[in-house]
Amino acid sequence: MVLTWPVGIGRTTQRDQSSGHSRRKLLSTGALLVLGGAVTPLTGCDLFDRDDQPAPPPDPLRPMVDESLALAAAYRASATAHPELADRLNPIAETHTTHATELARVIGVTLPSAASAAPTTAPAADPNGARAALRALEKTAQQSATAACAAAPAERAALLGSIVAARATHQEALK
Amino acid sequence: MRQPSAGEALASALSAEYAAIYAYGRIGVRLNGAARDAARQAEAAHRRRRDALVVQLTTAGGVVPPDRAGYALPFPVTDRASALRLAAEVEERTAAHWRAALVSTTGADRDQALAALVDYAVRATRWRKTAGLTPLTVPFPGRPT
Repeated sequence: MVLTWPVGIGRTTQRDQSSGHSRRKLLSTGALLVLGGAVTPLTGCDLFDRDDQPAPPPDPLRPMVDESLALAAAYRASATAHPELADRLNPIAETHTTHATELARVIGVTLPSAASAAPTTAPAADPNGARAALRALEKTAQQSATAACAAAPAERAALLGSIVAARATHQEALK
Repeated sequence: MRQPSAGEALASALSAEYAAIYAYGRIGVRLNGAARDAARQAEAAHRRRRDALVVQLTTAGGVVPPDRAGYALPFPVTDRASALRLAAEVEERTAAHWRAALVSTTGADRDQALAALVDYAVRATRWRKTAGLTPLTVPFPGRPT
């Protein structure tokens, strides 16, 4: 078993003391401390399980993964309800899935299954209403991506800028 | 590779705006009606950003790249179809320069770069629609392909 460990010598020492083990002893039990690697919370590990284990703050882009998957699901639902729109809607659904995949890669999480992002509302009965509803979703999503881009570190700004722009172009394509 | 400074990124965006304005001079004469109006409006948007950038870079004491007498077009503009294709291409290329500027900027400068990226990406989609090109949109507007 490989344990990844949050970097932080002070906390490690404190943890060792409170559990009554010296670092040497811990190492001799076969626990491998990986310093400087990916930081993963220790969940379900009886040896070091502690209630006061602080969860790492969620990545600010994590909600955008779900948002992209929800958009993709909304497009697919509308394309199913209105097959005459499928040629226009399906490529945009694919784009949103592509965004979710890229965002998940950047923040280092596994892409949640698309099934978990089932749309909460049924598509409108008429095609124009369905298109208007998708435009409204894109507009809201464009605003959230704009806020994320403004707050992002340099290495994420270009990706987020493209996602903002893509959501704007989708509104245009739906007109 | 060293990340360009905000001034360098904006200077690069300015050079792209010069080229876009030049290209629209060639595009507009091949269009008529609503498409010609759209070309005028697009050209005006590029002129506004060019003027703003010249003021901004001058005020900041940065290097203001000079305009050139002519720019090489990616393909000849001989008729309506090639004019519309070039218009879409011009918007996509200019969008790419502003997208690059996002990386080097923060705050109001980044907002300005994002607004330009969005504006030009949407115009590219409009031109593709007018030209009957598919797909109307790309997954990552402005990203080099």
